[in-house]
Amino acid sequence: MSLTRRDVLIAGSVGFSGVALFSPRSARANDEALDLVKQLTGRKATMSDRLHLIMPADFPTGYTVPMSLYIDSPMTEADHVRQMRVFAPRNPLIEVASFHFVPQRSLPRVSTRIRLAKPQHVVAVAEMNDGVLLMTTTWVRVATDGCA
Amino acid sequence: MTTPTPRVIVPSAAAKGEIFQVKTIISHEMETGLRHDDQGNVIPRKIINKFVCRYNETVVFSVDVHEAISANPFFEFSLRATESGRLDFVWEEDGGAVYTLSHQFTVG
Repeated sequence: MSLTRRDVLIAGSVGFSGVALFSPRSARANDEALDLVKQLTGRKATMSDRLHLIMPADFPTGYTVPMSLYIDSPMTEADHVRQMRVFAPRNPLIEVASFHFVPQRSLPRVSTRIRLAKPQHVVAVAEMNDGVLLMTTTWVRVATDGCA
Repeated sequence: MTTPTPRVIVPSAAAKGEIFQVKTIISHEMETGLRHDDQGNVIPRKIINKFVCRYNETVVFSVDVHEAISANPFFEFSLRATESGRLDFVWEEDGGAVYTLSHQFTVG
């Protein structure tokens, strides 16, 4: 299934409109991101500083924006991350990628390059082995549309 | 479109338990399906939709790739050296084409 930005906006707009007027910008962005993840995964995520999404704050082209993602995790059988997903909520298609890791075998970190259509908060979600969802967001301003 | 060419940078050997870095790239346009040609027709989607790394047949890292991964998709990740053997890298394209590379790896 492909999730479009329109589906999410329609689903989310009712809940946000009242709150958004009175919240500071960053808190509002976090709320929007939390709600987005709820809609996409059907579960509630927690903002976490264990998860790191490293991207340039300002980048000239939306075609190839560098992205590094890692999480502090021992990667043992008892405590590891299963997958990390990345979303670009202001892209025409918001799913970017899902990265799958294996305890003892791979470190929970990855670097790649992604397309961004416009300036936005990029969202990363980590699914831990016990089912807990951790998330973080990073603001990226791109000068050109990388999806056109 | 030119034929996608995969490339991998990975060491040939490592000590047991050591973490080693893998860099992979494949030349590919990653046509998103969102663009139109001069006649206004949608250019159909054709992307690499999956990347898998196997270490002696065991999947140790994989990516579900969507349209927002840039052209010439590049992934850099880290693995633990457990035993000598073979690393296999597989890129799956829309339409079923598969591109692969293999790499012999020695654990000393």
